[in-house]
Amino acid sequence: MNSSRTNTGLSQGGIITMFTLLLLLLFFVSLTLGSNPLPLLKAAADAVSESPTIISLILTEIRLPRTLIALLAGATLGLCGAVMQGLLRNPLASPGLIGSSSGAAFGAVLVLYLGITDVVQLALPVGGMLGSLAAMLLVYMLAGRDASIITLILAGVAINTLALALVSLILNLAPSPYAVQEIALWMLGSVADKGMHDFWLLLFPTLIGWGLLAGSGKALDALTLGEDTAHTLGFNLPAIRWRLFLALALAVGAAVSITGAIGFVGLVTPHLIRPLVGHQPSRLLTTSALGGAAILLLADILVRLLPPGQEIKVGVITSLVGAPFFLYLILKTRRVQL
Amino acid sequence: MLNHTTLSLVLQRWSVACILLLASISFPQTISAAKPQRIVSINLCTDQLLLMLVAPERIASISSLALDPHSSYMAEAASGHQINHGKTEELLPLKPDLVLASGFAARPAVKLMRHLGYKVEVLPMTTDIAGIRKNIRQLALLVGEESRGEQLIQQMDKKITAVTRRLSNSGPKAIFYQPRGYTSGSNTLQDEVMRLAGWHNVATDIGVSGYSSIGLEELLMAQPEQIFTSSYAPGTSSMAQRQLQHPVIRRLTRERPMVEVSYRLWICDGPMIADAVEALASAHQ
Repeated sequence: MNSSRTNTGLSQGGIITMFTLLLLLLFFVSLTLGSNPLPLLKAAADAVSESPTIISLILTEIRLPRTLIALLAGATLGLCGAVMQGLLRNPLASPGLIGSSSGAAFGAVLVLYLGITDVVQLALPVGGMLGSLAAMLLVYMLAGRDASIITLILAGVAINTLALALVSLILNLAPSPYAVQEIALWMLGSVADKGMHDFWLLLFPTLIGWGLLAGSGKALDALTLGEDTAHTLGFNLPAIRWRLFLALALAVGAAVSITGAIGFVGLVTPHLIRPLVGHQPSRLLTTSALGGAAILLLADILVRLLPPGQEIKVGVITSLVGAPFFLYLILKTRRVQL
Repeated sequence: MLNHTTLSLVLQRWSVACILLLASISFPQTISAAKPQRIVSINLCTDQLLLMLVAPERIASISSLALDPHSSYMAEAASGHQINHGKTEELLPLKPDLVLASGFAARPAVKLMRHLGYKVEVLPMTTDIAGIRKNIRQLALLVGEESRGEQLIQQMDKKITAVTRRLSNSGPKAIFYQPRGYTSGSNTLQDEVMRLAGWHNVATDIGVSGYSSIGLEELLMAQPEQIFTSSYAPGTSSMAQRQLQHPVIRRLTRERPMVEVSYRLWICDGPMIADAVEALASAHQ
């Protein structure tokens, strides 16, 4: 496990370089694609000139924030999925399945439709974060500390259902006549028609969350040996748990409050990355973040390739791919348990 | 017995109810057969035309939306009337002799009321001012107020002509853009109002026909110089309404602010469409 080589023969650095190159490619593809293809160089030249043109406005004010938000939200989901699976020692743990995404959606919906965000913009990610934290703690308390895979997922299902019912309730009661039609937006998620103001709103809580998660690799590695061993190795588990819950809530809460609850990226990404880097959580974190960013951006590019008209939500694509993968994971888990 | 002077005085004040009351004393049967006296409207659009055409005494009930000042041009006149929510159980005790609805002809209440033998008239949804004239005439005929109907049409046409006389038809580019990107393309009331008020509706350039939702990128590609919007529910908040606050929209129109056109002026067909033409025309300055 300590060798720098992995089962694919690539070093960790090599894999990170590979993903970075892939992300760069996707980044430029994403800037080019939309309702109309964009001449990227000309748009960029116009953007730095004195009077912006229509194409430069599309580039800097619509495609760029859309792309950056997809990257940040995807990275958050991938990273948080990896951390949750390590922390809870459960292959099915992920923001979507243990309630933190739907809790975040509930928190964000509450502050947005009550009109609080019109007064304080920052209320949106804060609402998402508090909702996410509350949902995660509820699931954790319901399932107990040494929950089996199934108990934790069941507790997650219960809290998910509750949070989504509350989202529907608020959207139905909200004074805005547009609210009810936005249920799909929150439950499936979308990064379309966002602006740089959304990106800035997302950036800071995300960076703080990532920062808090960054140093957790060693602790998660120790946890794979069991809680007692981790404790013997000198890790203060309750403190670590709190720090991680807080960090997960910050990152997931911010992402969901801007994009809605995009499903399955957090669950699937770490499983796709493990064959490349091995099962050690510390090696999984950075690569899962990069992988999640690539997956979400790719899904959003696919959405834009579909025939124009009523654009489908990016969450539809991630769920269509992710749900069968989830079933496969369940079958695999069952085989191990049998 | 009435002499001619008193009768014409009453007529001048167009206090229809008084005439009816007096007339009905002498010929109760013929009058009630000719002019409905317990009219019920279950749609905002017919509510407003009804309030303009007949005396309040003849209106048994109007829909709840008629009271909403954001949607209803006749909100003030509507207050005090009994309201309904388009449900059959509310309508039956009113014993209406005419039920008016608009557009959504398949509504269950319309079907059921017809089935129960009530006289139900459904006015078609209009997409142009010619259709508004037709609807006013049709409704005026139904309630027996033809001359009042013609008067409304004349007033509307006069207002519109006053605006169009001083404008050219090929005006600057504009678009009607609502929350969630809803816009009005060709064959819509908003398109005709924009044209009459001297604006060129760019939604028609990008192929929008009827009502459709367009994304921000399409809005930018259409390159409007002026954006008109109508707040259906001002003071509320949603993702759809947030979209209108996107900073790129202000940059697109070079800081030229969006012009809010009161929703009640063009949500329904009616003579108030002339006020919408005036409002859009005054945005040229």
